[in-house]
Order: sequence, then structure tokens, then C-alpha cells
Amino acid sequence: MQQTDAAAVALARDGDSEAFRALVERHSRAVYRLAYRMTGSAQDAEDVVQETFLKAYRQLTRFESRANFSTWLHRIAVNCSIDLIRGRPHRETGHGDADLEQFGATVESSDASGTSPERLMLSTEVQQRIGDAMTGLSRMERAAFMLRHFEGRSIDEISQSLGLKTNATKHSIFRAVRKMRAALEPFVADA
Amino acid sequence: MTNLHLTEDDLVLHYYGELDTASENHAATHLSGCDECHRAYAQLQRVLAAVESVPAPALSDGFERTVWARLEPALPAGRGWLRWLVFSPANLAWVSAILVLIAGAFYAGRVTRPAASVSGSPIASSEQIREGVLLVDLGEHLDRSQTMLVELVSAEPDDATAHVAIERARAGELVAANRLYRQAATQTGDVAVSELLDELERLLVELSASPDQLPTEDMERVKQRIAAKDLLFKVRVVSSGVRERQKQHSLTRTGAGQSS
Repeated sequence: MQQTDAAAVALARDGDSEAFRALVERHSRAVYRLAYRMTGSAQDAEDVVQETFLKAYRQLTRFESRANFSTWLHRIAVNCSIDLIRGRPHRETGHGDADLEQFGATVESSDASGTSPERLMLSTEVQQRIGDAMTGLSRMERAAFMLRHFEGRSIDEISQSLGLKTNATKHSIFRAVRKMRAALEPFVADA
Repeated sequence: MTNLHLTEDDLVLHYYGELDTASENHAATHLSGCDECHRAYAQLQRVLAAVESVPAPALSDGFERTVWARLEPALPAGRGWLRWLVFSPANLAWVSAILVLIAGAFYAGRVTRPAASVSGSPIASSEQIREGVLLVDLGEHLDRSQTMLVELVSAEPDDATAHVAIERARAGELVAANRLYRQAATQTGDVAVSELLDELERLLVELSASPDQLPTEDMERVKQRIAAKDLLFKVRVVSSGVRERQKQHSLTRTGAGQSS
């Protein structure tokens, strides 16, 4: 029978590496997905997974058993992702507005009419478009958008975390949303 | 003023609840009375709802095992020199210092010219000594990796099982140090070294996560991977470059010592 996270944490605190291994095996995919979403890079995501579990292991004594382990781990992973993003040279690798228009035009040229948006939402093509649009985001656009959209952090919090001014954070999010719109609007247009 | 349409950015802020109270009230009132803005907002909602289905990257079946293989040597329950490094602030500080030193060594290796360090100042000397020590460390790491690759590539099918057991242990020891060197190279923009160490790390992790009994076809796959990526050749080239840096470094130090 699989032990609970709380039981595994208790054992891991006492030095039981197999218990910690169980936690790693249970949660590493979720941490990777979060890290990949935040960083947009497989290699960076792997590093974030490593740092997250190392940090969690070192801080196990601070973990309150009443808390939810995956929530706690998720928070550590977000912080590790932010640390990594802030630690890397600031390079704007995303597409510019000209690319954005071109990208939108390409998407529009593909025939999405006559199919219900609900059905298309689930299609692999939409997923591909989202993936492409994500790739077109700069590191900061991506981080700011992910923190706002998926993590529910306020713009002020994001500004502090990423070391940006409030306006810069807002504009990163605006640009990210514009790119998402360019990529997805043809697929989700009101029928 | 209330007849002015909401901007695209206003709609985004409204969606995320980031408008101040007055602007929020204005936006809500306007949206309830303006079809055009209402349609634009509905469209934005659909786009952002679609983003929720952002694709997750595909991961291999053995992903968890690979993560553990990479992580385990760095945990206190693991083996080797990292065992005592990770668990106290002092040890962590030591790791950080090493990272900085390694980064410094990479950077120095990239920017120093033999004639540039003839100043002979005490500060330059200590930097040079530190750089020299770290170049030696990196060189040894690459030599050990090279030895492992050679043994893997040259293993006969009959000896494969014995080799895997040995190389698995060796890979486990190398993976943590490799990661530190790779991160340092990435931070200093040494792309060639960083890419090589990244490729090497993937192989080390895979090997250290492999079972004790590796089927012959898996062993062949490892060999093919090493060959396909010219990994052995690349390690030799970079290793040779590091040795060259060491020589330059020695000459520079000698020159600096004589001129001071």
C-alpha cells in the first residue's frame, strides 16, 4: 500500500532515503511540467527539478505536517524557477510585433471555420499553436505571464519576484497575451 | 469619457482583476453597455481559457528514475564527497564558492591573453593560482569521463554486464561534478563546454540510472549514442583545450613571476 506524503515526509526527515525517493517519484513529473511551463526549456526544467528537491530535502524539518506536501513543493519549484530566470543573462529571445503579425496571418490562413470552438480547443493543432506561441515569448514575458495566469500572483508580487518595475511587468504580460491572441483567436473565434 | 472603448490592455487587467476600484467599476459598467467591448472581452476570455490547455512536454517512462539518479548523489544519504556538502550553511557556502571559482576559471580561460597578465600584482597571482587549480580539476573530470567512454565503447558483448556495473558506479560519481561544471560554463557563456557537458550529463544520468543487468541491445544503444554524438571525440577535443589553457596559464604565471 502506498504511504501518504505526510508519512513519507516523516520517514525522510529521519534519514530514510527510500521514503524521499518515493516523494520524488510521485511528484517529479508535476514539478517538471511546472518548471518547463515557467522556463520554456527542457534543460532548465531539469535543473529546476533538481534544485527543488534538493531544497525540499534540506527544508523538510520546516515542513508542517498539516500542510499539503505538493502545494509546498509547488511553491519551492516556482521560486527555484524564478531564481533560475533571474540568474540568467537577460536576453529577449521572443518574437517582435512584426513576427507576431506574420504568425497571426499564418494561423488565419489555416482553415478553422465550420468547426465548433469546443472541439477545436481539444485538438492537437490548438495545442501546437499554444506551444509555438509559448516558444515565441521572451523569458520575462513567459515568466510574468505564467505567474499571473497559472500561479495567480498579482502584478506587484510578480514585479518583486522578477525584479522588474510594475510597468515592465504589465507590458510583459500584455505582450504575452497579444501573442496568445494572435496564435489562438482564429481557433476560438465566436462561431 | 465613459463612451470611450476599453483598450486591449484594460481588458487584460480587468480579466486578471488588476484594475483599481474606480477603473474596475468603469470597465464593468462599460462592458455591460458596449457590445463591441463585450465581444472583445468574450474573445479574450476564450483565448485565455484555451491557454489552459498548454501542452505538457512528453517525458520518458523512466523519468522518475532518471531524476532520482541525478538527485541521489547530492543527498546526504548518497555516496561520495557531496554527502557532507549539502546539509549545512557552511557546506552550502563552500559549494557556492566552488561554483564562483569554476565560473571564474571558465571566464578567465576565455578572456585572458598571455601578455595581459604580466603585471605580477599579488591579486592577479592569487586569481591565477585559483584558475590553475580549477583547470586541473576540470581536466581530471574530463579525463575520467573519457576513460569511462573508452571502456564503454570498447566493451565486448561478453563483458558488458561487468562493465555496466563498474561504469554505472563511476557515472554516479561523475554526474554531480559534471552538473556543477556545466552550470558554471553556462553562466559564463562558454557554449562549447556547456553543450558538451550537457550531452555528457545526459549519458551519465542514464547510465547511473540503469539496472545492474543491462541487456546487450541496450548496451549497443549506449555505444551507438556515444558514436552518433561523437561524444568521445568531443571530450578529447575539449580536454585538449583545457590542457592547453593549463599550459598557457603556467607560462603566464612563470612570465608574471619573472617580471615581478
